[in-house]
Amino acid sequence: MSSHSNGEKVEQLGRQLLIEQLIAGKASGDEEFGVEREDCNLEEEDVDSDCNTEPSDMIKESSSSIRNNFNVDEVEPRWSPSSSGYAGERGSTSGGDEINEDEGGRSEIHEVAKDDAYRPHEQWLSGKRGGDEDDASISWRKRKKHFFILSYSGKPVYSRYGDEHKLAGFSATLQAIISFVENKGDRVKLVRAGRHQIVFLVKGPLHLVCISCTGEKFEALKGQLELLYSQMIVILTKSVNRCFEKNPKFDMTSLLGGTDAVFSSLIHSFSWNPATFLHAYSCIRIPIAVRQAASAILLDVASSGILFALLICKDKVITLVGAQKASLHPDDILLLANFIMSSESFRTSESFSPICLPKYNPMAFLYAYVHYFDIDTYLILLTTRSDDFYHLKDSRMQIENVLLKSNVLSEVQKSLVDGGLHIEDLPSQVRPSHSVDSVGSTAKGFVGIGGPAGLWHFMYKSIYLEQYVSSEFSPPINSLKQQKRLFRAYQNLYITMHDRESGPHKTQFRRDDSYVLLCWVTQDFELYAAFDPLADKALAIKVCNRICQWVKDVENEVFLQGASPFSW
Amino acid sequence: MGFTPINDAGEPVNFCVFDLRRGQTEGQELDKILFFYPNDVSLSTQLSVIGLSEGLITFTRIFSPNAPCEVIEAEMHSHVFYEAEPDVWMVLIVEKHDDSDKIWRMDSLREVLKEVHSLFVMFNGSIRALVDKEPTGGLVRTHLYYFMMDFLSAFEKRSTLEYCCWDFSAGKKLQLPNFSDSLKERGTFQMLAMGRESALEVESLVKVIESCAGYTKCFTMVLFQDLVVSTNLSPVDSVSLFVYAVLRLTPHALSAASSWSYSHKGSAEPLIENSDAHGQSFNSHDASSLRNGSYSVLRPLQRGKWFKGEDGFLLTDIWGLDVNSSALKSPVMWLNQTEEKMYMLAYQHRGLTAIVLIPVSYVMGEQGIAKVKQQILETASVKISKVEEKLSRAWGGENAYHVSGYRYLLVDGDTCVSRATPPGKVTTLTKESLVAMNKLREEVDVEKCGAKWNNKSSLCENDLEICLRARNNAWLIARLTGGKELYMVVEKANETLLYASEAVEKFSERYCDGAFSLN
Repeated sequence: MSSHSNGEKVEQLGRQLLIEQLIAGKASGDEEFGVEREDCNLEEEDVDSDCNTEPSDMIKESSSSIRNNFNVDEVEPRWSPSSSGYAGERGSTSGGDEINEDEGGRSEIHEVAKDDAYRPHEQWLSGKRGGDEDDASISWRKRKKHFFILSYSGKPVYSRYGDEHKLAGFSATLQAIISFVENKGDRVKLVRAGRHQIVFLVKGPLHLVCISCTGEKFEALKGQLELLYSQMIVILTKSVNRCFEKNPKFDMTSLLGGTDAVFSSLIHSFSWNPATFLHAYSCIRIPIAVRQAASAILLDVASSGILFALLICKDKVITLVGAQKASLHPDDILLLANFIMSSESFRTSESFSPICLPKYNPMAFLYAYVHYFDIDTYLILLTTRSDDFYHLKDSRMQIENVLLKSNVLSEVQKSLVDGGLHIEDLPSQVRPSHSVDSVGSTAKGFVGIGGPAGLWHFMYKSIYLEQYVSSEFSPPINSLKQQKRLFRAYQNLYITMHDRESGPHKTQFRRDDSYVLLCWVTQDFELYAAFDPLADKALAIKVCNRICQWVKDVENEVFLQGASPFSW
Repeated sequence: MGFTPINDAGEPVNFCVFDLRRGQTEGQELDKILFFYPNDVSLSTQLSVIGLSEGLITFTRIFSPNAPCEVIEAEMHSHVFYEAEPDVWMVLIVEKHDDSDKIWRMDSLREVLKEVHSLFVMFNGSIRALVDKEPTGGLVRTHLYYFMMDFLSAFEKRSTLEYCCWDFSAGKKLQLPNFSDSLKERGTFQMLAMGRESALEVESLVKVIESCAGYTKCFTMVLFQDLVVSTNLSPVDSVSLFVYAVLRLTPHALSAASSWSYSHKGSAEPLIENSDAHGQSFNSHDASSLRNGSYSVLRPLQRGKWFKGEDGFLLTDIWGLDVNSSALKSPVMWLNQTEEKMYMLAYQHRGLTAIVLIPVSYVMGEQGIAKVKQQILETASVKISKVEEKLSRAWGGENAYHVSGYRYLLVDGDTCVSRATPPGKVTTLTKESLVAMNKLREEVDVEKCGAKWNNKSSLCENDLEICLRARNNAWLIARLTGGKELYMVVEKANETLLYASEAVEKFSERYCDGAFSLN
């Protein structure tokens, strides 16, 4: 515990809550709040295994490979296909929610977010920022969005900012709050204070907390905590719970060593990747023939005992196939891609790593063969068999041959440069253009800024395909900061449309100082569009109809058809 | 995890007032508690509620030093916080349930806390002043206890058999504003819409009344039925006085009180009686002082205490009797704006109630008040009855502000004035629409709050337009512009967005002087 006075205050609070709890006669004992560091790692635990794929053993394997992964750049011996590809603590690039400068005013820390205003998301490679901070640091307190994972005994497992060890006292306080409310027979979900929200999520022996002043809605933050938890399941499977059943004071940090970058990159995606709230994945736009060629070869190899085969470029799917009756949830694709992209070692050599798909089966490990064809494009072959490495390697070579022959990889690269949907290209209506102008003078005013009628951006989700397509950013949504603002506006819009109590609603028009947002939810699709705040309502509606038509016209290029429900 | 009630009494509502400056040493935590409802909850439960609240206030200050804990949302309960005065906190805890009427909007619950606090301060001065006056806490606790219980009795859920077999000790539940009140705005007052001629008449009436008082520093509020006709008080004071008038003074309030008294045969109010019977468990160390009445307690919210005198002035024994004349003492209150102590005179003629506030420092006690009354009777009473006649001729009844096809709420944040569809008409909306509107309002509340924190000065420039076609095909509309807010539910409407916009436009032109029109 830090000797800072503020740190003491937090500790005091933890004690105070405990005292109150004791008064209420419901305290469950000191050990619940114990934060003493006791090194107990999983290998020493005698974990029972009743699962076919022996997930607990997998944890051992996974964790040992995590610990070994600091040397993953070394040449991997052919007889040991065990690299799990964790990047470890890497440098200090950023792009997330930085220091909150508006509160208090005289912070020595300046807005860091501006640094990366024009840095593309793809360059995101993160380790932890502010690793030496703790809860007594002003800079730490001013961070806009904290994420914590802690065990139910109050031990810190992960913190986005600051050193987990130094945050033990803070962690114990969070835990005290959760168990205080639990002892009253209830469960705390949210605490609101000014611009700040503290969101709690209890997942068995693990507690996840987000403290944010980004203006995102509770439902959004809760969804992000769910994904963070799932990301952990990707690495460890749910059978990690058993470790806590054996030993409530179990220290998980040893299992997750070196995975900071995976979590940081996921948290970063909460501010740019619509898949995190749409629960849909996106495909790279390529000619249908190219996609068909890629699908065909994946389908060929998948028939030989492969559960799922995915060809992905960055976060966009080129194609994917699955074994009969197996279906892949968009959240699993998101987490899998994030895991692979944030782990540098996957890029350097072919890898074979135990991995769990939480929506597919949270209890069991699968094995992922991962290979990068070029800097952006990679292949994932998932199998249930731990001894399949050489088979998958052969399959990969077959696939590579076909992809090269049929120019799939070069088409993908071409699409990366200029393949997306640009609002400027939105086909005009069949009607002559002067009739549009005659509706209102505003139409003319928007020539040159964004698309027609002041259109700035759109996202279209196909409900049946569980896929979405969004337009490329173009002026005036230039900087990452503007993109992040729009992203959050969409996210809020999505949440109001899908309200748990009264939704899903059908249409929403929303105008504030920043945008006109239009949302249209039908049984088949959802459309989200952003316009200039002065956009004319009638024109905006017409443009939305044109967008829907446009997406239908190009759906063979922007969506993977027939991929759902992934059964052939 | 099984459900256990929030407290031993099984009461779905908890309400407490506590002072963080008190009871800071270990073992003295009880000292913090100034009021707890229900009062028969065990001390350990009370302490655990206060402990959690204080813990979270301290904790949230780490990140949000200027705006600590406002709301705790748990699976089964919501806790609403309001720092009424520095370090004096009010916390309301309500049960929630999606399938019943227990769907709340946090800001509307906080408005209840604000309302009870400003009413308390209006009659008793600040809580802090009472704490400081008598550090043992007996004085403030006694005052708060009676005041809060009288206040909360207004929220008791009444059964249809209320007047014949109301069980005092069981089955009382507080009915707090929920989703069905999403087209109401607490913390505002409603005004009567008048023609120009009537407005001029009222204006001249106010001048006459104020000249009777003979002092320039007096204030007047004139009400017709439960609507304000004229006020020259600050918006905040207008709201408090309006709330009090509608609760206890207007003809409607007086008649409700008399039927209440009849049914209760003059007995004390149930909440209080209950507590006397069971003793004050919430602060055992001064329970005896509460019971033996060693403090003189002002209970301005007590029911059935006001009646209309033969001369038209409203009378009450709430403020006791004058020692010299053994006449009823005149009511006294504090203005929020000037912190001045005022005498309150209320004159009523049929539907019209005129309330005059005269600075205590300007009047020669009860004799001075008697003179003012005499003056009003002599010079203003005729005019009052003329104005009353005029207003009641033009008055369209309780559905006067109904606009067919619309269910709406209109709020002017600067003047604290609101107008809304009459409650009887709001009930024709489906629960689905009301719940969705409740949610939409919550969203707008957050938006307003965000604007406040981002740039305090631009709060009234907050410009927002939301048109939502809900699952049940109702249009829900929220418009904020220039400090004014409009909320609207239009059911059975055409599906096109342009239709909805047009509906707002028409309404704005006709009823809001075009305040929400886009052109």
